[in-house]
Amino acid sequence: MAPAISAKSLTKKFGRREVLHGVDFEVEAGSVFGVIGPNGAGKTTTMRCLLDIIRPTSGTIRVLGTDPRAGGPELRRRIGYLPGELFLAGRVTGRTLLAHYEAISGPVPPGRVDQLAERLGLDLTRHTRKLSKGNKQKLGLVQAFMHQPELLVLDEPTSGLDPLVQQEFHAMVREARHRGQTIFLSSHVLSEVQQTADTVAILRDGRIIAVESVSGLREGAVRRVRFTTSGIAAHDAVALLSGVPNIGHVEVLEADGAATLSATIGGDIQPLVRMLASLRLTDLVLEEPDLEEAVLTMYAAPREEAQ
Amino acid sequence: MTALPLFRRAFFDTWRSTLGWALGLAAAIFLYLPLYPSIGGSAQMQDMIDALPPEMTKALNYDQIATGPGYTQATLFGLLGFLLMTIASVSWGAAAVGGDEESGQLELTLAHGVRRVQVVLERALALLLRVVLLAAVVCSLVWLLNGPAQLGIELGHLLGATVLFAGLALLSGTAALCVGAVTGRRTYGLAAGAGVGVLGYVFNAVGRQSKDVEWLLNLSPYHWAYGNSPVANGADWPAAAWLWAISAALVVLAAVALERRDVGA
Repeated sequence: MAPAISAKSLTKKFGRREVLHGVDFEVEAGSVFGVIGPNGAGKTTTMRCLLDIIRPTSGTIRVLGTDPRAGGPELRRRIGYLPGELFLAGRVTGRTLLAHYEAISGPVPPGRVDQLAERLGLDLTRHTRKLSKGNKQKLGLVQAFMHQPELLVLDEPTSGLDPLVQQEFHAMVREARHRGQTIFLSSHVLSEVQQTADTVAILRDGRIIAVESVSGLREGAVRRVRFTTSGIAAHDAVALLSGVPNIGHVEVLEADGAATLSATIGGDIQPLVRMLASLRLTDLVLEEPDLEEAVLTMYAAPREEAQ
Repeated sequence: MTALPLFRRAFFDTWRSTLGWALGLAAAIFLYLPLYPSIGGSAQMQDMIDALPPEMTKALNYDQIATGPGYTQATLFGLLGFLLMTIASVSWGAAAVGGDEESGQLELTLAHGVRRVQVVLERALALLLRVVLLAAVVCSLVWLLNGPAQLGIELGHLLGATVLFAGLALLSGTAALCVGAVTGRRTYGLAAGAGVGVLGYVFNAVGRQSKDVEWLLNLSPYHWAYGNSPVANGADWPAAAWLWAISAALVVLAAVALERRDVGA
């Protein structure tokens, strides 16, 4: 299957300042691709290039098989875009504004706007300039999703949304992916996209420094485990724990009476679970892996092959 | 799909502003014109005008104020109406592209299924229609007061003057639109539009003072439009064609410029 987006050696200069220094990536059609990077890394610039809002200085881009420069309105109708900074002015209601965007994007199924607004908890009868930041963001999401575009380009989509709405947004992304839509989204932190993304790319100072599958990161990531066991001496428990593959940082937190130990485990957790099953546990915490930390340790020192 | 979606938004969503300017122009008309029989047409007024320094009467175009058409030309079309129309047109023109880009909204519009040329043309059309609408209001109200205020204006001359009046305001508005589209800044658009209006007025006022500075009149769109007092003498149609043609050229320039550059960068 042809990639939904491909960028090759993308550079962009604003005057003398180069903000993209040769960005390369491919987004597989029907996948969720997250770009992570600090502010100013070039995420927004890359996204604007995809929509022909700004033009790259050099390099090639293909979006849904077409150069955005040549694709014109026909291509952009197949894309839903949420800008990083959303400005909605004017004395119009949300519904009126959405009707305007509907007129200039792909066909919107009847009832779709209301359905999306209801899911996100957005009141369409209020005037847009009176909306809070979060509600404006919801309006932006509705206009991006409403025509069920083949490709969604979402710049920091969860910014300003409260946690419950963020969950609803993640559900919308998963549903879109099920329908075969491709989603390209950005965030400054990995934790925001690790729930939905299949692949993450790390963008730093105008370069992609790593592209990793989230499942791969998860496998390679290190989890923290802590448990309390009774009926066994602490040093025996340490010996048992140390026998598990990929275990590290074993520490005894409590040794009087019941023993409490903590450790880190990388990779497969099956051997650990098997070992734990032989103990009489009174407490067990196996934390979700911190992918952020995994990425940061992997790329703390930029490696040659990661370029 | 609705036809001309960008035009519709630019035209209909600004109806409050359009209505506001129409009311302002109507107020100016109802303030000035009914006073003609007691001011402009009276002998006392003519004595007073004669007593003023001739430079001042020329600058204010008050040299013809003793006739109904001259009075209407000088006070309404030449001064307050010109001022209000120019401000309205410039503010709309500057907001159309430059203002929209500066506020960050143009980016989202361009991410949709529209062409940049289409954005400029539809918004220029909205500007044009609003200016024409205001000019039509002015024309109708002047015609309405023509009898009661004993102005004695010929309908043909009034229509011609209205075309010039609209063309003059449109020139400032399209200059604002064009510079806004080239720079992406509302303020630059406002400055350009106001510059065209103000310099046109000043060049006319100064150029009429003496033969030595008469060449300034050639640079004044205000003089092109009003040099022969169209309300009194009928429109200078080639001048009208020039005003409208330059406006059209500015819109084309705006479309080309926007098409070729990065937006919101």
